[in-house]
Amino acid sequence: MSDHLHLGDFTQKIGASPIPNYYGDALVTLAKNNPKIVAFTGDLTPATECDLFRDTFPDRFFNSGIAEANMIGVAAGMARCGDVPFVHSFSVFLTRRAFDQVAMQVAYPRLNVKLAGFLPGLTTLLGVSHQSIDDFALMRSLPNMTIIEPSGPSQMAAALRAAASIDGPVYLRMHKATETISTAKIEHKIELGKGQMLSNGNDAVIFACGHMVAEALEAARLFEKVGISIAVANMHTLKPFDTDFVIEHATRTGVAISAENHSIIGGLGSAISEALAERQANTSVKFKRLGIMDTFAEGGSTPYLFNKYGLSAQHLFSSISDLLEIK
Amino acid sequence: MENVNNYNRANEISLKAWAKSIRCNLVRMVARNGQGYIQQGLGAADLFTYLYFSEARMDVNDPAWEGRDRIFLSTAHNSALFHATLAERGFLEDAELETYTKDGSKLEINVSERLGALVEATCGSLGQGLSVAVGVAQSAKRQNRNFRSYVILGDGELQEGQVWEAAMYAASNKLDNICLIVDRNNLQVEGNTQNVMIMDPIDDKFLAFGWEVLSIDGHNFNALGDAFQKARCTFHKPTVILAQTIVGKGIPFLENKMSHNMVLPADVAAECLSILGCDHE
Repeated sequence: MSDHLHLGDFTQKIGASPIPNYYGDALVTLAKNNPKIVAFTGDLTPATECDLFRDTFPDRFFNSGIAEANMIGVAAGMARCGDVPFVHSFSVFLTRRAFDQVAMQVAYPRLNVKLAGFLPGLTTLLGVSHQSIDDFALMRSLPNMTIIEPSGPSQMAAALRAAASIDGPVYLRMHKATETISTAKIEHKIELGKGQMLSNGNDAVIFACGHMVAEALEAARLFEKVGISIAVANMHTLKPFDTDFVIEHATRTGVAISAENHSIIGGLGSAISEALAERQANTSVKFKRLGIMDTFAEGGSTPYLFNKYGLSAQHLFSSISDLLEIK
Repeated sequence: MENVNNYNRANEISLKAWAKSIRCNLVRMVARNGQGYIQQGLGAADLFTYLYFSEARMDVNDPAWEGRDRIFLSTAHNSALFHATLAERGFLEDAELETYTKDGSKLEINVSERLGALVEATCGSLGQGLSVAVGVAQSAKRQNRNFRSYVILGDGELQEGQVWEAAMYAASNKLDNICLIVDRNNLQVEGNTQNVMIMDPIDDKFLAFGWEVLSIDGHNFNALGDAFQKARCTFHKPTVILAQTIVGKGIPFLENKMSHNMVLPADVAAECLSILGCDHE
């Protein structure tokens, strides 16, 4: 009788309208066509959109409890027997907590295990314990790992299909469709390992991923009003990284900025820095990393945190203005 | 399928001969390196012998046979014993043992899957082997396959929390096709396990986690045979065999000498080989 008192989710407050499960629906569709797919969750079934999978394929669904290290190992064992496990938790627990298990039991043997982490970066009320600000850094450092972060609801199914298309480990940095990410310009398709130019421009280029793509598009719109054209690229694949694409557009515009819902250390900004430094493309390229500035954050709403920690269109606008020396 | 056991027990005379030959090669391998995991190897040699020669179903002509029983060596540093056992069983050439720990060799001091089939996972980072073995057991159930999952852990390794996560998972999922063998040799890097961390009662811990628990003498082939058989006949829950072993077993002056990574000079090695009777092979 008290069923209506149960909240299965951690991502929104009471009274919000139901969130569509773009990822969860796509996973079920994929699993209908591939009987080898099994799903794991660590006591976070609704929060990682696995409820439909659980109800559709109860024999292929494993809730391994609040024990991520073991969950990774069990998934690895199943992958060694030809099953294709999709492992779900919050990003921070899949990557930071179970890093050694992911390294030794998934990445090293190149097993066909997909790690789908939710609550990327500062997109959670739950605070510093649940905020994955270093997951790109951790996963990028592992050989054999592919990393994909879709941007907005329209790319989620494509990201999932891209991950499934590889016979090997993939880290999917997923998010629930709670935010109003403008999807008008975001392409639905994902071509693995390829940067995606969403908005052309000649004065500067923003390389963004995940939530920051929408902020980047908004920043470009603000610049458009003052007659400055900014290119916006969606870097949905962090690894393998599209170095050629980055070099091409950074040198073409001469001004580049990275935008990520992640620490400026080890993620998209670092990947671009490495690309620019190693290629010695053009030393006149002005470059800045925008992201979480090497600090831990706090619990709070996503708009509040994005604003406080510098992850907004306004912050992009002012950073690019500085690079362009606009007063 | 040739050379595949169907849980027919090997006779004791043969088992003793294999175990002796394995111990001889183990001493030679560690002696060549000058130091190594000789004590644990001698201690678990009978256990490995029984598991590989009389229990696990495998095919020497096809190491990667899909129907094989999987054996996970979570204590991957017990590598001299592991490699010597594979050689005795016919999966490696004796000559390959001579490359053990040499640069470029696939016979590493921590067993890795560079060796190929029969290394079911690269462990060594302790605590991880049971989880992977549990996953294999889970897949066997899901795919209606009848291979079994065996995993060897050291007793010191039980200090890793992940072991207990896996223990809970295996019991919750009623995985009766997994058999965990704890090599209870009372030895870890800094000496006696009980001095580092209070381990006992290990049996009660596993009982509380919902496992079938069998405590045996790890040097008694009959006891090993009975325990493995009982594990195969236990349904709806996993089994752990707590095998009490003696480090250095077979060489009186090494027995119970608590040394994790022991120096083995040539003269001592020669004495060991003599005591084991390796010269008369």
